[in-house]
Amino acid sequence: MKRTVVVAAALLLGAGAVMAQDNLVKQSQDTMKANAKNLGGVLIAMVKGEKPYDQAAVNAALAQLEDTAKKLPTMYPASLKGAKFEGDYGPSPKIWEDQAGFKAKIDSFAKVVTEAKAKIKDLDSLKATAPGIGKECGGCHETFRLKNS
Amino acid sequence: MLKRLLLALCVLGVAGLAVFWWLTQPSTIALAAAARAPDLANGQEMFNIGGCSSCHAVPNQPDRLKLGGGLPLESPFGTFYAPNISPDPNDGIGRWSEGEFVNAVLRGVSPGGSHYYPAFPYPSYAAAKVDDVRDLFAYMKTLPPVAGASRPHELPFPFNIRRTVGVWKLLFFDDKPFSADASRSAEWNRGAYLVNTFGHCAECHSPRNPLGGIKTAQRLAGGPDPEGHGFVPNITQKGLSDWSESDISYFLETGQLPDGDSAGGSMARVIRNTSQLTPEDRKAMAVYLKSLPPVEGPPRPKKPAS
Repeated sequence: MKRTVVVAAALLLGAGAVMAQDNLVKQSQDTMKANAKNLGGVLIAMVKGEKPYDQAAVNAALAQLEDTAKKLPTMYPASLKGAKFEGDYGPSPKIWEDQAGFKAKIDSFAKVVTEAKAKIKDLDSLKATAPGIGKECGGCHETFRLKNS
Repeated sequence: MLKRLLLALCVLGVAGLAVFWWLTQPSTIALAAAARAPDLANGQEMFNIGGCSSCHAVPNQPDRLKLGGGLPLESPFGTFYAPNISPDPNDGIGRWSEGEFVNAVLRGVSPGGSHYYPAFPYPSYAAAKVDDVRDLFAYMKTLPPVAGASRPHELPFPFNIRRTVGVWKLLFFDDKPFSADASRSAEWNRGAYLVNTFGHCAECHSPRNPLGGIKTAQRLAGGPDPEGHGFVPNITQKGLSDWSESDISYFLETGQLPDGDSAGGSMARVIRNTSQLTPEDRKAMAVYLKSLPPVEGPPRPKKPAS
């Protein structure tokens, strides 16, 4: 009887861990997709002149990006190491090997987003500032994101 | 009788070797003295579109103008290491003559008269204008010399014998110069020139046959990454039909895809070069790429089911 309880508990715990991991993977992917949508589909689309300038949409996009900056430090806990990421990309092991380097990238991204919130008031300031956010994305991805093969 | 047969075999063998030697002879250009002073600004533009520093910059340091080499380039034929092409007189190309440089870039032949492996994208560079290569050489001479000898490539037999590249060249190397299409705009022709010669986009964005030659019919239609990780996208209109001209030039400037994602893999290093080009040259490349007919590339492998 005792044994059954222990086994059942262990199984439940294990299943819980797998589910937690799945949720973390999903959280990471959903956040990155939302970032891309706000940056590419809102901010950069305005820079390119595909969409008219809209301060409310800019604010909403920046708010989501700021939220990402807050989530990033806890988005890749050690338990995600080796987790299965479907799709084109997954996290590089360097996230855990070079934690200081990864943190520096997150801090730099957070700083750029905060500055953008203060600076972007019209199309000209958007054009001057928004590409810098994309640079932060690419700068971190180059080292800490891996192409799935 | 046996003696005669052996003799005949020997003669045949020597003759075969002689024919091989003759066929795989590196061919070079005899360069006339330059009739003009080098244009350093043009040399810099050619350096940036040529993507020299994507492979030759010292890895893991921020300065893309330190061309000490060392980056490994994996391939089905072994691992290549980008050599030192900084102006260092001992380890780099500091002692090279202009003619030696032109033959390296346009013909894939070293100053010592041996073949370079086509990991160095001279099959694309071959169509470039000699004056552009001269300007490139003059510009590269202005960069800082970096000490450190080039690391030898790690290639198994028979690829470690450079002479065999002569056979590869017979099969796949075309040294025809770029010819402009008079029915197209000057901008389109500029883009075609940049994409197909110095830009060497097709070297990664095309599928290759088992001997490492580009499948000409599927040029620029993407394929398995020659470095072995993942897939290189189709950049004909089959793959880029929903990209506008400004999407392409914005991507070449910033590395940002229209969907908001950023360039991954080796393309991140490429963007570090294309971001330095003049906006006119980026636009010309976009105009040309946008004009390419859609070509079906190799099928992308299915995502593994979970």
